[in-house]
Amino acid sequence: MDVKILISGDSAVSVQMGSEISLEVNQLVRMLFLDLKRSPVEGITEMVPTYASLMIHYRPEKITYSHLKEEIEKRLAGMEQIEEERHIVKEIPICYGGEFGPDLEDCAAYEHVSTQEFIRMHAGHEYYTYMLGFAPGHAYMARFEEPFHFKRREAPRVRIPGQSIVVQLNLSNLIPFDQPCGWNIVGATPLAICDYTKEDPFLVHAGEWVRYVPVSQREYGKIKEDVRKGTYRLKTYEKAVE
Amino acid sequence: MGIKVENPGILTTVQDEGRFGYQQFGVSPAGPMDTQSFYLANILAGNKRSEGVLEMTFSGPTLKFEEENIIAITGADMSPCLNGEPVPMYQAAAVRAGDTLSFGMAGGSGSRGYLAFAGGLDVPLVMGSKSTLMRNGLGGVHGRKLQKGDVIGFVKPRTELPNMSARKLEPEIFPEKELTLRVVAGPQDTDFTEEELRRFFWYGAQITNESDRMGFRLQREEPLKHIGDGNIITDGIAFGSVQVPSNGQPIIMMADRQSTGGYSKIGTVISVDLPKLAQSVPGYRVRFVRIGIELAQDLYIRRLQKLDNLERHLGQGG
Repeated sequence: MDVKILISGDSAVSVQMGSEISLEVNQLVRMLFLDLKRSPVEGITEMVPTYASLMIHYRPEKITYSHLKEEIEKRLAGMEQIEEERHIVKEIPICYGGEFGPDLEDCAAYEHVSTQEFIRMHAGHEYYTYMLGFAPGHAYMARFEEPFHFKRREAPRVRIPGQSIVVQLNLSNLIPFDQPCGWNIVGATPLAICDYTKEDPFLVHAGEWVRYVPVSQREYGKIKEDVRKGTYRLKTYEKAVE
Repeated sequence: MGIKVENPGILTTVQDEGRFGYQQFGVSPAGPMDTQSFYLANILAGNKRSEGVLEMTFSGPTLKFEEENIIAITGADMSPCLNGEPVPMYQAAAVRAGDTLSFGMAGGSGSRGYLAFAGGLDVPLVMGSKSTLMRNGLGGVHGRKLQKGDVIGFVKPRTELPNMSARKLEPEIFPEKELTLRVVAGPQDTDFTEEELRRFFWYGAQITNESDRMGFRLQREEPLKHIGDGNIITDGIAFGSVQVPSNGQPIIMMADRQSTGGYSKIGTVISVDLPKLAQSVPGYRVRFVRIGIELAQDLYIRRLQKLDNLERHLGQGG
């Protein structure tokens, strides 16, 4: 484990758990995050897990850099004892193609497969949420099987609709709000990815798994209505241990 | 019912200390650009230091008071007037129902003003905060800057505060044209050669027009060179992080910063120096001085102790 505690000014440190984007490294980030969440250190105000590091914001009047560094080193030394979290998979309905996924056919053509086979490749695996960033609720997710071979579109779009699901290589992100985007859009979810009126506004959290469930346009409309009425219940299951 | 906005000014928003705890979900903290002027305005008005105030950028609003209250104005001098008569800044002042508080443009010293109301502003909490984050339409008054006709209530308006005559400070003088910012190196200072680091601290840069609540973009005569391409695996961003994208032109991340980013960060401007950067305008020259983490934290704690002492001396509105 090649860990570096990097100074980010007088009120934050970035604990870099590795130097690659991988499930293994991100799980180390999660472990430190969970440990500090379960037994908090006085002075830490918030933590931001990213791909390979954990940003720790703190109050120097409560704990100085040198004391925080010592405390983090202590936690890192005891990493093996940290109890792992349960791996939850959230099922996210997605309506592929048509107006919801204008690039579905192009994407299938890039992969030299039918749109049906493309949907199977996209929806047939579980995705891991490495982190949230860029916009509220914006999830960076990846699967570990059958990566696509295409990257971004040549010309990025100035605005794509919120609730779009975009793809490249093995990555598939949930777009919470309208934004500029250079990725290909394959579908949309009827679920709110970020809803500030809810106690927990965010559909997906870092460290959670996601499975896309293809739905028809009719089902999309029905789910959307249930979401509006507040009667929709998100389906989840526990990830099988490998 | 509090205040009615007759003229909103260029960019006036509600800001409390910031929305903390949600950066892990991609939510920027927002909050005041100049924390020092923000804290002083609240302390003078007898508030909790973190209470929501109006942040006024480049020019201030015209507000009609529909209810009496006590106010305090700090930060940039925008020539505030009460019913046409100049009203002192850095001083608690009583305002009656029917009064009109108006501001002009920020003239010389500073670009952002802070207007605190005793007892605070009555805007809904979004994720625990009153701060406006315009990029995502969050917080404050409908997630946007103030508009003509907006009405904002007071939570607990006051007619008097303890130690009223003592609620008075020397106005802050902000640097003009040139400022020096102290920086703690890292987290990615090792993405630059020693030579290039020296150049960063030696030559300084100019603040460009592309500077706002999210970040201040700087222009250097000679762009900085990274050892690699300047891209890193996306990690966390702090208030004052100095990002250096592959074009070698630094961006200092400010109140509406994104929580994470994928550019190398050569250093971080220390907390006590960020207020003077927040009060700067495009065209100013910025110089960087490197200091260690111990001194940076010592300065941070000393600023805090001064604020604590002032607060204790004046007391709160209760």
